[in-house]
Amino acid sequence: MLRTVFLLITGLILLPHPAWSADLRALIRKVEEQYMGLSSKSRMEMSIRSEHWQRTLVMDAWSLGRDHFLVRILEPPKEKDVATLKVDQEVWNYLPKVDRVIKVPPSMMGGAWMGSHITNDDLVKANKIDEEYNFRLLEEDDQHYLIECLPKPNAVVVWGKIVYEILRPSEVPGTVSYFDEEMVKVRDMVFDEVKKVDGRTIPLRMTIQPIDEPEERTIIRYSEIDFDINIDKNFFSLRNLKR
Amino acid sequence: MYKHFTTDDQTLNKLRAQENITGISERLRGYGLVSHADNSYPAELLGVHPEMERTVTSLQNQLSEGAYLEPDDENGAVIGSGLAKKLGVKTGDELVFVTQAADGSIGNDLLMVRGIFRTGHSGHDNSLVLVSLPWLQRTMALPGQIHELTLAVDDPLQAAEYVPTVSALLPKGLETTDWGELLPEMREAIASFDVSRFIFVVILYFATGLGILNTIFMSVVERTQEFGVMMAVGLRPRQVNHLVLLESLFLGIIGAILGLILGLLISSYMSRVGIDLSTWITPVTYAGGTIQPRLKAIFETRNFIDPAILLLVVSLVAGFFPARRAAKLQPVEAIRED
Repeated sequence: MLRTVFLLITGLILLPHPAWSADLRALIRKVEEQYMGLSSKSRMEMSIRSEHWQRTLVMDAWSLGRDHFLVRILEPPKEKDVATLKVDQEVWNYLPKVDRVIKVPPSMMGGAWMGSHITNDDLVKANKIDEEYNFRLLEEDDQHYLIECLPKPNAVVVWGKIVYEILRPSEVPGTVSYFDEEMVKVRDMVFDEVKKVDGRTIPLRMTIQPIDEPEERTIIRYSEIDFDINIDKNFFSLRNLKR
Repeated sequence: MYKHFTTDDQTLNKLRAQENITGISERLRGYGLVSHADNSYPAELLGVHPEMERTVTSLQNQLSEGAYLEPDDENGAVIGSGLAKKLGVKTGDELVFVTQAADGSIGNDLLMVRGIFRTGHSGHDNSLVLVSLPWLQRTMALPGQIHELTLAVDDPLQAAEYVPTVSALLPKGLETTDWGELLPEMREAIASFDVSRFIFVVILYFATGLGILNTIFMSVVERTQEFGVMMAVGLRPRQVNHLVLLESLFLGIIGAILGLILGLLISSYMSRVGIDLSTWITPVTYAGGTIQPRLKAIFETRNFIDPAILLLVVSLVAGFFPARRAAKLQPVEAIRED
């Protein structure tokens, strides 16, 4: 009898607290939504440095919820009007030079998007962290929360683990570290330049740093961003991708 | 992708002047996405000068549809049959190629499918696309650059010995490798084939030798009285010995002639028609090479001369014991033998 009670208590202690986990989920979702808004239009500058070249792209991006995303390159002139459309789990690219739309096949989802250190998969999956992962609080102090995200057993994800830092009190992302299935850190995503825009506190700059290529990185910086604009699903069509 | 170089006519001409080198091709490789209608697949593009590539590969003989690239065809493409099937393209269709060019920009352009090749090598058939070199250089933002020079030599089995010569003719910093280094499995497959063929030949000739030995021995034993008479009238033991050896050699010569005729007939059938195994197997890719379901023979003079000479040697060796026995016969006892 005593043993049963003891086992029961131990079991209860070892079980992750369900309510707590849900809180973390809500927190992460809130942070991610703060960033996306219900809808948004932004202008961003993406500068990529790789071993052999360095370049900067200026792009316009529109988003609606988490599942609709359209981005169009403005500069450099050679790639003007190259565009990417993401609807739900699918990604299309438009190439004005040949006037064709290409659907990114599943096998290329891990490939680089526009030559940067962001993969096509990041576009599709990045904003689904709160749905695909389980959470555990690693650290909590006045400055930040550190949350460990482990994929749900049957989730189709590419990462083995994500360590998500949320800065307090503004509740914006800090450094997000991605680990592969062997639990080796693959890249860091660092958010900074926190500003208040349209009543939302968001970081305006994001740096993606691959761990095994310290000389390389991609920096995305928002130069303009508007939230809750008047836009609907029809905007995110293949026709509009071509424009 | 970033390890590229340029060649000049001088280098190419020096290589062409080598009598061992039978073909030479400049190549640029590019990896990216090929797309037709709603289908997109990753592919490996090989940019070549068609007239040069002809001298090192035989893709032009393995077309299942359409034609090979023409020298002045800027945006033509010859594509693997597996990839063509996945993309749903046929000759005359249009392809879009997208890649990340060497300067980081998004390289993309249109290609026209001119032909479809089927090699049986699943890796090539499912991902290789042959395009014109200038087109790929432009799309990859690598003007005038190539990734490799592919050479064909007269005797592939001697390729490793040509490496130092070729290496000396190339600009510094380039590496020369023979197929044995690129495909060590293939080299081992050939070596193990040679060993197994050697064992097979030894067994075969041992059996042949025993057969000849038996035949000659029987004919010597049956002719004991005749040999006795011949020796009685003055034939020397050495002459008897030579007589039997000569018989054995003649047997060998007749056997070799008949064997050569039969062998030539079977070989010519095998080299023209071969054995069709396609009911049982599909092309097998093994050790970097492809085994076609139709087994064929290749004529090689050495394969006719060597066995014939070996047969004569074997028949002489096999005749040795019967000849010795015949030479040792005592005329008186031999004549009385029943």
